[in-house]
Amino acid sequence: MGDAPFSFYKRTSASLMWGTAAALLPALGWGIYCFGNSAVLSVAASIIGALAGETIVSGIRRRFTLWDGSAFLTGLLVGMAMPAGISPLIPAIASLFAVSVIKGAFGGLGSNWMNPALGGIAFAIINWPSEMSAWTVPRQLAGLASISGATPLGFDLAHAGSALAGSNPIDLLTAGGMRFTSLDASVTETLNKILFSHIGAELPGGYVDLLIGNKPGALGELSALLILAASIFIISRRFVRWEIPASIVTTFALLTWTFGGLPFGNGFFAGDMLFSIFSGSFLIVTFFMAPDPVTSPSSLIGMSIYGMGIGALIFLFRSFGLSAEGSAFAVILMNCVVPALSKLDIAASRRRATKALIEGGNVRGGQ
Amino acid sequence: MRLSRTFRHGGIRVELDLEWERRGPVQNSFLPNSAVILLKQHAGRQARCVVRRGEYVREGMVIGRADGYLSANVHSSIPGVVRDIRVVALPEGGQAEAVVVALEGSFERLGRKGERYLWKSMGRNELLSSIKDKGVVDTEAPGMPLFDLLGERRDIDLLAINAVESEPYLRAEACLLEDKSAEIMEGIAILSRILSPKRTVIATSRSDVPSLAPASDGEGQVECIALLARYPQDMRRQLLEAIDVSSKASEEEAILLRPSTVFAVYEAVVLAKPMVERYVSIGGGALKRPAVLKARIGTPIGDLIEECGGFLGPPTRLVLRGILRGNSVYDLDAPITKTTSAVIALDAKEVGSLQKTPCIRCGRCAEVCPERLDPELLFRLIERNMRARAAELGLGFCTACGSCSYICPSRVPLVAAFSAESRLQAKERALGEMPK
Repeated sequence: MGDAPFSFYKRTSASLMWGTAAALLPALGWGIYCFGNSAVLSVAASIIGALAGETIVSGIRRRFTLWDGSAFLTGLLVGMAMPAGISPLIPAIASLFAVSVIKGAFGGLGSNWMNPALGGIAFAIINWPSEMSAWTVPRQLAGLASISGATPLGFDLAHAGSALAGSNPIDLLTAGGMRFTSLDASVTETLNKILFSHIGAELPGGYVDLLIGNKPGALGELSALLILAASIFIISRRFVRWEIPASIVTTFALLTWTFGGLPFGNGFFAGDMLFSIFSGSFLIVTFFMAPDPVTSPSSLIGMSIYGMGIGALIFLFRSFGLSAEGSAFAVILMNCVVPALSKLDIAASRRRATKALIEGGNVRGGQ
Repeated sequence: MRLSRTFRHGGIRVELDLEWERRGPVQNSFLPNSAVILLKQHAGRQARCVVRRGEYVREGMVIGRADGYLSANVHSSIPGVVRDIRVVALPEGGQAEAVVVALEGSFERLGRKGERYLWKSMGRNELLSSIKDKGVVDTEAPGMPLFDLLGERRDIDLLAINAVESEPYLRAEACLLEDKSAEIMEGIAILSRILSPKRTVIATSRSDVPSLAPASDGEGQVECIALLARYPQDMRRQLLEAIDVSSKASEEEAILLRPSTVFAVYEAVVLAKPMVERYVSIGGGALKRPAVLKARIGTPIGDLIEECGGFLGPPTRLVLRGILRGNSVYDLDAPITKTTSAVIALDAKEVGSLQKTPCIRCGRCAEVCPERLDPELLFRLIERNMRARAAELGLGFCTACGSCSYICPSRVPLVAAFSAESRLQAKERALGEMPK
């Protein structure tokens, strides 16, 4: 008695984790294409570190949790945030720390207050700042003159002061020695011919390379296109809720559009939203880490505020911070606010209960 | 009018049992060699046994008399000899006496066309007393005796015939409505005489609503409304919401009955036949040939399963009345009762993983809750013994539909905790204590 239901929706927490990990594989594949064996090595080291951490915690807590997919996903995400060619010890230690301390020490899956992958990435950035910003150039850019040792985002932030008035982030890159692939040129030309010319707009060169991932950067975060595709997949399969990414993207895009043009001397409402969104780890953090249900609020108002906070912090960190990579820290800081936001979740629940009581209290409870 | 009528919030789609074709009319099941007739097939107290061991009983004879609060008469479903009177465990918990009747002798009713009673000349009280006499109960669990359900009610706003089946493997009501539409319409006419409803609705979960003859005594129009089979469309508040009963007063003034209950009313009043058989839907992935059978009350479920070709493989779970709100049984000798609408044998694939893992706060439970509760929050409050807080956040509105438990990827036993807590609070209220 009292043990209904007797059948369940087939999805389990584990299938959710493995499914999310599977969605990331194309983006990882692009990283491996760009950087070859060094990318494989970093990601493998990271996953091994995460699984080792999970095994240690499983041993201590006497509950075997290696196959719930959570540790694997953490390892994968940490690995994908690494620059190619980094010493494999760094991702391994970062993942081990993420799984055993940030997740395990707080009681394991479901009890951690900080996203483990972000914790691991932050750990690596703080510990090995120079290694974590030594970006290699992908093989397809090898023949082209290219900015070395910096991502497009990092380069622009470092050189924004020297920008000519009226220029944009892409101009700055070109001035700094970045060259785009012939693919970028031809795709841009085609798009302009068949699409943008009809609406009186013109897409300048460079964005196609940014979108596809022909640029230096973290090995799993290069291709905005593949990460966007993975995001659409996980949202349509309802692995994560859409409200948090929507709130982050909206806030960040609006702030960038409004104030992002100022460093270039372009005044208000002239920021380059496309460049900001497609560069750095913005997309992977927004879609794969910020909406982690364990460390985010659940009511609409809570999710909106959480997302706005992240969007605003990413903008702040990118504009004024030391490191070009503010996304991870923005989410970690907002993770701290989640307990306070969960009061809003409870208030929302109470409002619904009170409303139900007033509207139809006597209806319930049978005839 | 909305294109697809349904309730407003939450709900789930259960993806099991999508292909099913009806093969011909509903057959009578074989008569059981021995019927186990429970003396408690209704909400209230167990009926008082009025037969002795070794006594010969005729078909339809009273073997248990209504005894006290919400009790109902129980009749023998087959002719035979009382072999045993013993205490058995009930699938829904607790225990009750059962009369075991071994089949013997001849049927007086079988194959004969019975006399039709001219009920139109009967008054309200006469109709009600024949319903009471024939042991008619609401066929929806927990089986409210119909006399107690209708006795005090008059001039109600709405009489809704609830033929919606939104759980997989349930199709007895739809089959009955299709097969016996004339009889059910006459049953509705009888109920209309008793209740004088302002509006009468038949709600189905299939778009092909059977063509129904108008209510025979012309007491108002009967509307037919097809609803989406989204779960839990068949529950009271969701059904009323879907058929646009908006005001609170009208919702209170509504009575919902299953077609099988209406059919039992028809048989009791028109044919003077007690409630001794019912349509049972037999299905599940572990079953060879799913079917709807007309079975005698007291037939062991094993007999019906055998009649459906037996099992394809070992069943993982046997369930009565539905996989989301029913009860499991562990015994093929468990008998059919007045409220057993279905017998379901689930295979391992359908049961799926039962591995409980930590809650990852995905929020699906709150998305699917048709009462707009936050099951995750309520569960945490109960776990920490913050019970008054849980009550404040609407725990009392939980209808135990099980949507949250069904969807939960971590298999947190949400609805089990809510039901246990509701039972505890009801007990405390009964004892006059305030929950701490």
